[in-house]
Amino acid sequence: MIRVRCFFLILLLAGSAYADPWVAPVTPEGWPDLQGTWTSATITTLERPREFKQLIISDEEAQAWESRNAEGYAAIDDVPETGVESGGDVGGYNSFWMDPGTRVMRVNGQPRSSQIVIPEDGRLPWRLGARLKLGGFLFRLTRSFDGPEQRPLGERCLVGFGSTGGPPMLPVLYNNNYQIVQSPGHVLILVEMNHDARVIRLGGTHPPDNVRPWFGDSIGRWEDGTLVVETSNFHPGQSFREAITHQFYMTKDAKVTERFTRVSIDEIVYRFEVDDPGAYTQTWVGELALRRTQDRIYEYACHEANYSLPGILAGARREEKEGAGE
Amino acid sequence: MKRTDRILVCMAVLALSFVTPGLKATETVAVDVPVEVPLNVSPDVSPDIPRRADGKPDFNGVWQVLNTANYDLLAHPARIAMATRPGPFGAVPAAAVLALGAVGAVPAGLGVVIGNEIPYHADARKTQQDNQANWLTTDPEIKCYLPGVPRATYLPFPFQIFHSDTAIFIAYEYAGATRNLELQDPGEAPVDSWMGQSYATWDGDTLVVKVTGQNDQTWFDRSGNHHSEALVVTERYTLQNTHVMDYEAIIDDPKTFTRPWTIRMPVYRRVGVDAQLSQFKCIEFVEELMYGKLRKEPLQPEPAP
Repeated sequence: MIRVRCFFLILLLAGSAYADPWVAPVTPEGWPDLQGTWTSATITTLERPREFKQLIISDEEAQAWESRNAEGYAAIDDVPETGVESGGDVGGYNSFWMDPGTRVMRVNGQPRSSQIVIPEDGRLPWRLGARLKLGGFLFRLTRSFDGPEQRPLGERCLVGFGSTGGPPMLPVLYNNNYQIVQSPGHVLILVEMNHDARVIRLGGTHPPDNVRPWFGDSIGRWEDGTLVVETSNFHPGQSFREAITHQFYMTKDAKVTERFTRVSIDEIVYRFEVDDPGAYTQTWVGELALRRTQDRIYEYACHEANYSLPGILAGARREEKEGAGE
Repeated sequence: MKRTDRILVCMAVLALSFVTPGLKATETVAVDVPVEVPLNVSPDVSPDIPRRADGKPDFNGVWQVLNTANYDLLAHPARIAMATRPGPFGAVPAAAVLALGAVGAVPAGLGVVIGNEIPYHADARKTQQDNQANWLTTDPEIKCYLPGVPRATYLPFPFQIFHSDTAIFIAYEYAGATRNLELQDPGEAPVDSWMGQSYATWDGDTLVVKVTGQNDQTWFDRSGNHHSEALVVTERYTLQNTHVMDYEAIIDDPKTFTRPWTIRMPVYRRVGVDAQLSQFKCIEFVEELMYGKLRKEPLQPEPAP
């Protein structure tokens, strides 16, 4: 009887040993299968809020943050429906048009206080000159309406705002969905905003220095179970990456290395390293969880319905005309 | 059966056992072995088309047409310009395109419409003629708008097909347009869009894509050929060999046309260093055209060269 019990105990132990670690599915070509639709929506910000001292926070802290965020989100719609004077502030999007996520990001189950994991303080390691450049850009943003070229890329529908297409690909106010398709020589990442396809070649060389596409030029390779993507040749017009919850600056000579590792059926750990000595005192590193979603990505035709940009420019001309008449 | 005959049969069976696993599905052999031959494949289809591990034709690659369908789907001689005005002895280029000279002329084409006729209703024919007369201000391509289907296929830009075991996706160089081909029936499109909703199925070795839910804002070409939001496009992609595929699109739009009609053209695989999409995000190239008049100081017309 004792022998029989020992036999079952050994079976149980062996079973638990073989249950971990989780093994990623593979494509017919033998590579880890990253395919599907994924979302990075989260309330965890790029930089760590001052209230948190550690990268990993407790479940209680995460839940409290989520509760505060939910209250703030509901308050967005708490605006008077009548009584706004002509010329007054009518606000922007209400919550119907936003989809920033409701949860603190959990990477491998760990609640995170920031996307940045290096430096340890979770803050961007700025060089002063780069920070001043960003400050100047943000200052001009609310004052420069002379022509379309002065407006940010998101307003012009050239690329999505806030580095949603990256690299690094960061969550923003809405449209935080990505579709990945793997073919034998390429990995395609569809960025929901603005239907941008990042075509990542597996191998090869970067183009001549004067060829600098939006999102840079990306070359991928597999390292064990991880897709590693190195990007350079950034478009100089894509240096400022601004969203409501994060703003940063990258020179056109930056190198970004992204690592995609599928750690479960529902999660890809997305790690990115920004190596840009012209703007930062050290390489900074971030991590995000891309969570599998069953939602479909619909067309985000930004330019075709861009009433904002002509409206903004026409409004500026109207203000100038009225100001000149006073 | 004699002993020598039995030996010969055994040798033949042994030889077949080595050969058969390498056979392509469309090859035929002179033995009584069941081989699945797709019914829809035309006689000029090569047996050596690339295939995926599941046996389906492999459409992965960068593709492009070599025709003038984007100028005009119908057969047409070379023309002086897309936009013209009356001259003393016939049409001359409109002032807006005059400086382009030979670069602005229209190359000839034998057409891609089967039967060389687009069967418009009378009022829709009038709209096509108005579109053509006002091409400079009305063609959505000029404003870098998404092209819709089928025009995305025969714009003078390549497109790349990403074909895996679980997905088929098309990225177009022009305007960064994209299409995910749904492999499960997605039902009715929830909203009309510029590129519509694509649902892909297989008919033998032909990839059949039904495109619905397109809005009425896209055109078929620079000659003003147009459609309504009732458009249903049924595309058929058939590999002819490693380097050429046959593209066919059946256009069905009862609001605009008296009957369905079909376009058909070869599409060629780009190879070597050309087998790579470049970027043509043309929005920034049309900002002066679309928003220039809203500048604080609009640019003055340039003096004639």
